Amino acid sequence: MIHTLAFYLFAVLVIASGAMVVLARNPVHSVLWLILAFFNAAGLMVLVGAEFIAMLLVIVYVGAVAVLFLFVVMMLNIDFAELRAGFIRNAPLGAVIALILLAELVLGVGAYRVGIIELGTPDGSAAPLLGESNIENIGALLYGRYLFLFEMAGIILLVAMIGAIVLTHRESRAHRAHQNIGKQVARRPDDATEMKRPEVGQGVEL
Amino acid sequence: MVDLTQYLPILLFLGVAVGLSALFVFLPMGVSRLTGAHNPDAEKLSEYECGFPAFEEPRDRFDVRFYLIAILFIVFDLEAAFLFPWAVSLDLTGWPGWITMMTFLVELLIGLAYVWKKGALDWE
Repeated sequence: MIHTLAFYLFAVLVIASGAMVVLARNPVHSVLWLILAFFNAAGLMVLVGAEFIAMLLVIVYVGAVAVLFLFVVMMLNIDFAELRAGFIRNAPLGAVIALILLAELVLGVGAYRVGIIELGTPDGSAAPLLGESNIENIGALLYGRYLFLFEMAGIILLVAMIGAIVLTHRESRAHRAHQNIGKQVARRPDDATEMKRPEVGQGVEL
Repeated sequence: MVDLTQYLPILLFLGVAVGLSALFVFLPMGVSRLTGAHNPDAEKLSEYECGFPAFEEPRDRFDVRFYLIAILFIVFDLEAAFLFPWAVSLDLTGWPGWITMMTFLVELLIGLAYVWKKGALDWE
């Protein structure tokens, strides 16, 4: 009973905040609605028993990705009123993409229902694979059977890190003046001054 | 089906948090509304004499270095998140799992060394 209630609460909130992401006038508000959608998706994940995914959603998506979205939205400084004027023009393309995504969803769920994809049973009551909990199962698979894919993920993260630095990091613009006391103290008058005795009417060549 | 009763403490915490934050927001508003005189006019609402009107929008462009910090944060955040399932499943994966994670950590450590050496962690 409470399960069903919680499911409908989370599902309605996800869809509503997803719609608000698209409909909000201010892109910063869109990002905030997106964060609400992430939270409710995490709630849905808890309901199906995927606690680790729920935790990842909150930690990674809400904690990091949403912040990154905010940065991007604030950094681009786009004239959004002008951007919105192209809505009608771009609407068919958006509709096509939405249809493709819908078709993929239908195909995926349909194949799962028919039984081509082995994920367990549709009601989520499949017997645990190896360990006791979901997280243990994920760990056993990720660091056992799929360890090379995991290492590849690590390499991709490394590439992302280095790429971000290559793209955005600037070397310090000006050479900063450091005081070298030893050099200052060791400086003698002979190093600093030079006696010249120019002829009358001649200049000094430095 | 998931046993939802174990989430009851979290729900209680959430309720307490919502209640407290609502109290902090609305109590001062209510108290000031009830105890103070409330008749604003244009002069009163204008900037005070040593303040000044805003020249530009608050949503200003800012430095790309914030973005770099955020990306680095995401990478190490993910690294920490990957440690959780590794830690609880170590009895199932054994030494291969341990070596896998250590390799992963070394990969990101190389990245950290690169970041550090490039001076991307320094602000100036």
